[in-house]
Amino acid sequence: MIGLAIRYLLAKRRQTILMLLGIFFGAASYVTISGFMLGFRGYLVDQLVNNNPHIHIEAREEFLTSTSLNEAFYNDRYTHVFWSPPPSGRKDNAIVEKPQGWYARLRADPRVAAFSPQLSASVIFTNGKATAPTTLIGCDPLQQEKVTTIGGYIVEGKFSDIAAGGNRVVIGKELQRRLGVRLAQNILVSLGKGPPSPFKIVGVFDSGNKMTDNVAYGSLVDVQKVNGSPNHVNKIAVRLFDHTQAAALATAWENFGPEKVESWDQINANVFDVFRIQDAIRFLSIGAIMVVAGFGIYNVLNMMVIQKRRDIAILRSMGYSTREIISLFFTQGFLLGITGVALGLSCGYGICLYLRTIPFKGNPMQSAGYMLVSTAPEIYLQAGFLALATACLASVLPARAAGKLTPIEIIRSGAE
Amino acid sequence: MAIVAKKIGKAIGTPPVRILTDINLKIDDGEFVALTGRSGSGKSTLLYILSSLDSPSEGSVEVAGHDLGKMADPELYKFRNEKMGFVFQFHYLISELTAIENVLLPAVKNRRQIERRAYAESLLEQFGLGDKIHRLPRQLSGGEQQRLAIARALVMQPKYLFADEPTGSLDSANGDIVMNIIRDANKNFGTTVIMVTHDPDFAATANRAINLVDGRIS
Repeated sequence: MIGLAIRYLLAKRRQTILMLLGIFFGAASYVTISGFMLGFRGYLVDQLVNNNPHIHIEAREEFLTSTSLNEAFYNDRYTHVFWSPPPSGRKDNAIVEKPQGWYARLRADPRVAAFSPQLSASVIFTNGKATAPTTLIGCDPLQQEKVTTIGGYIVEGKFSDIAAGGNRVVIGKELQRRLGVRLAQNILVSLGKGPPSPFKIVGVFDSGNKMTDNVAYGSLVDVQKVNGSPNHVNKIAVRLFDHTQAAALATAWENFGPEKVESWDQINANVFDVFRIQDAIRFLSIGAIMVVAGFGIYNVLNMMVIQKRRDIAILRSMGYSTREIISLFFTQGFLLGITGVALGLSCGYGICLYLRTIPFKGNPMQSAGYMLVSTAPEIYLQAGFLALATACLASVLPARAAGKLTPIEIIRSGAE
Repeated sequence: MAIVAKKIGKAIGTPPVRILTDINLKIDDGEFVALTGRSGSGKSTLLYILSSLDSPSEGSVEVAGHDLGKMADPELYKFRNEKMGFVFQFHYLISELTAIENVLLPAVKNRRQIERRAYAESLLEQFGLGDKIHRLPRQLSGGEQQRLAIARALVMQPKYLFADEPTGSLDSANGDIVMNIIRDANKNFGTTVIMVTHDPDFAATANRAINLVDGRIS
């Protein structure tokens, strides 16, 4: 019956091409839109996974309530303590309470690839009359390079140079621009208390992200000294061997201490919400194209069944079964689906390859230089399945209608 | 007995309209039977019941010992394909297929088209269509189209040929040619022919004419 199905399609070329175009556009647009969206998403997730620690263990910010000081002042002597005015505000020195305990636990965990204790301090950098409020992150540079990709973004100097101590910093490109400084120059760092401390710039990094490029890194000891908090850390950045375990581990570690433990995907949950919205829009728009294509096939095949009643009658009189008549019409939809999918996927792939050659200088793709378009096989499998399923579903009803016709009905109705 | 019809009755529609009543007949192998009668007498309905395309409201039909009403669908389709040929008033050729492809269509069902090809060509040659085997139906005249339809009905060398006014849409010259072909099939191949006709001259050439009046054999 395939031969006859092909003949039917070829005999009605204009209709066949129109039906084919529906499936073709559906498959091609799915591949292109998905490739573009998922390419961008893949890059973004890649940046989140590779550039940042997989788990952040941070000192929890605690706020005072009307009962916060009861125990410290009165222990259990009174059931009700009334303060005038009641205590309020934030606890100072938000630090990781028992960092050594965390270090021991992290060292012993086989899932942990590396971890880096940090002390972040809000500071003001001054170069002559130029000032820039920013964050100075104290860390062990060797560990920090294992936990994040900061080392890969160094454009001047070396990140590990801050390890030597003696008030050295590596600053982001944006911060360098704001301060108007160059490598090896000294800048002043002040915390708002005490005199400013001079720091020497030993490196500049450029990640392509203005937020990230607006901070500075120093050695942990130097920052602790400037901050007046020796041996304190307020964050431990952890890198895992398998980033997909991050959320589960973070949830489990939450019970180990008062610290806030969050995974990279928990921190960026809003980004994943956007992805979900993108997916919904993508499926809705492609779904609309597929529905239109499906109705096109349904209408044309329905008309064809009406026009080919004589053929159905004669085929049935020759002994062709109901199933063979169904297959005659279903095959047409299937062939359209297969051809439309093949053409659509090929064209979509071609468009994706072309899009990859278009220079794209805006953030956050700056480092890539070109548009990032995914050609992941699953996109093509999904597109193929969707388009083929549309074509097949649209063919089922006309094919079944054809199968229900009996030769005597057609002959009696004087089908011409 | 080739074809045996017992107490065939047929009513269609709501409220039911009786078309055939108490038809009993026997048709021998190799017989040429003409079903005659006025318009609405039920002759075409009887033909379709005898040929398994329609089912009776009452009674039973046996063809070559098989009760058509009790045959399973696959068995019936196979029987129809291998043992029965049909010629209708209108040729019912498939316009997208060439003459030879149309003729071989019954053989395609069982993938026997290669095996039947030579025979199909010989039939077309015999029917004066030997030089037109690659033409589409629309490139043939009305008479040629009907001859093509008869070639298609005979390509599987069926035991039974059912013809419903095969000359009804043809002029007398083409009608004669078609009738000669049907007669030859009956004479040369021993095909049992049951033909519905209005034409008394064509009916007269049959071995037997069964006349129907108001759904009964008169």
